[in-house]
Amino acid sequence: MTSNSEAAPAERPIGSPDSVLRRPAGSGLRRVLVGISQNGWLQTIVSFLVAAILWEFSAYYLIAKPILFSPLGSIAKRAIELWQEGELQYHIWVSFIEFAGGFGLAIVIGIGLGVAFAASRFIRNFFEPWISMLYATPIIALGPLFILWLGIGVASKIAIVFLTAVFPILINTVVGLTSTEHTLIDVARSLGATNMQIYTKIRIPGATPYVVAGLRLSVARALVGVVVAELFGARAGLGFLILTSAQNFDTPALFVGVIIFAIAGVASVSLLKWLEQHFAAYRFQEHSE
Amino acid sequence: MTPGQIKLSTRNLCKEFRKGSATMEVLRGVTLDVRDGEFISVVGASGCGKTTFLRLLDGLITPTSGTVSIDGKLLKKPGEKLAFVFQQDGLLPWRTVLDNTLFGPEIQHRKKAESLDVARNLLKLVGLSGFDAHYPHELSGGMRQRVNLARALAVGADVLLMDEPFAALDAQTRTIMQDELMRICRETRKTVLLVTHQIDEAVYLSDRVLVFTTRPGRLKEEVAINLPRPRELSVKFSAEFGRLCDRIWRLIEEEVRASMGRELQSVAGTSQKN
Repeated sequence: MTSNSEAAPAERPIGSPDSVLRRPAGSGLRRVLVGISQNGWLQTIVSFLVAAILWEFSAYYLIAKPILFSPLGSIAKRAIELWQEGELQYHIWVSFIEFAGGFGLAIVIGIGLGVAFAASRFIRNFFEPWISMLYATPIIALGPLFILWLGIGVASKIAIVFLTAVFPILINTVVGLTSTEHTLIDVARSLGATNMQIYTKIRIPGATPYVVAGLRLSVARALVGVVVAELFGARAGLGFLILTSAQNFDTPALFVGVIIFAIAGVASVSLLKWLEQHFAAYRFQEHSE
Repeated sequence: MTPGQIKLSTRNLCKEFRKGSATMEVLRGVTLDVRDGEFISVVGASGCGKTTFLRLLDGLITPTSGTVSIDGKLLKKPGEKLAFVFQQDGLLPWRTVLDNTLFGPEIQHRKKAESLDVARNLLKLVGLSGFDAHYPHELSGGMRQRVNLARALAVGADVLLMDEPFAALDAQTRTIMQDELMRICRETRKTVLLVTHQIDEAVYLSDRVLVFTTRPGRLKEEVAINLPRPRELSVKFSAEFGRLCDRIWRLIEEEVRASMGRELQSVAGTSQKN
């Protein structure tokens, strides 16, 4: 570095064509590496490739027992087989119904209760201890109870998913609606706004980013809810596939289930992150610099 | 400025705040007439009820006793005749500059096409044309206050109530905004009541400066500012300007010292009792 700066005459402007030409030899590789490090996608791809190589290496040399671990090739093969038998689609469908039912219910009831809580201090104070208690309790521990109550089918799973997912949505809705900046309400009021207008034009748009953040937190919980609920007792679903595959020492099929869950998790969380940025671009830009 | 009709008047305005069993008297018997097109500043020590006075005028809070009337009619609730400019800009972060400016007309159910023209013209007036589609977080503090002002003007109110609108700005921006405010008031012929901590700001902008006593706030004295208009920055270096600032400062200082004296006496009194 010192030799470079000494070599360059002081009066030459930085970034002149001349200084570009004078770059040290071998900068080609460096430019590629810099390019990769600046582009998030390339890093992600490289990271996946490295993980795949490590996976295959482990499968063939470190844990070379098919019962304990499977190479990627045999997982893919098993996935295709299951698809051709029609079994994989069925399990995905059942899990999807459980997830969508529970999560959808959590959105409707979470936001609905949130609005009620925000509107009335009495309701809020009445329910608050229960909400905090239930939020802190691992709801999943109630899974077996729900299976006793609602049976081994889809209904018990929807109930469990709902209970794991509802609290972040509910709590964020309440926080979003009650933490409106007071100046904004004063401004609206001085312009002659009615209480209804303060709700629709100030409180609700102000709360939207909070609610979407709540959805992002609870979508991951809902997915965990689906798997665990199915592990407790089910006739179908990806969790059921994972459980029965383990019991039959069908390790590749087990990994098929796990990988599909992983993909679903990544996809839903990124979708909600995108929604969050779409609804509240201002919140992100404020903190970016 | 030619003295016009009485635009805004208060009669014996009083305000007490009740907290549990304790009451705090914030404002006592303020009677005031403001003529159309007049620029009035309200100064006084911190906590003297200046802001409360302004909020009473706007109808954001209701007086314990006394009345506010505008154009000879009693004021009942906030609305179209008065517009409030708050110290915090209070811009809605999810709305663009243009949509923020349109907020008031929208609340008051005005026709969109008309208010759109008004809003565009006002943004030009406050020097923000070309920023229609920007969001508040993309603007500097001075620009945000300009939007705040445009939003207040957009409802077409005759009277602007301004609560320390430039307090959060740096000194240079504040000076520029003072000149801008003067220009805008001249062009739109508004009646303005400005609450401020800055004595030179009050003198520079106003036709009259009202000095409030310490709590409970009363009208202590009214200082007429007869500096010729239009005013330029150089007026701040004139002997008359300095004399007026000095006079107002003395009035406030007197109040602060008196109230400190009262507090010291009451502290001394309680310690003697003990």
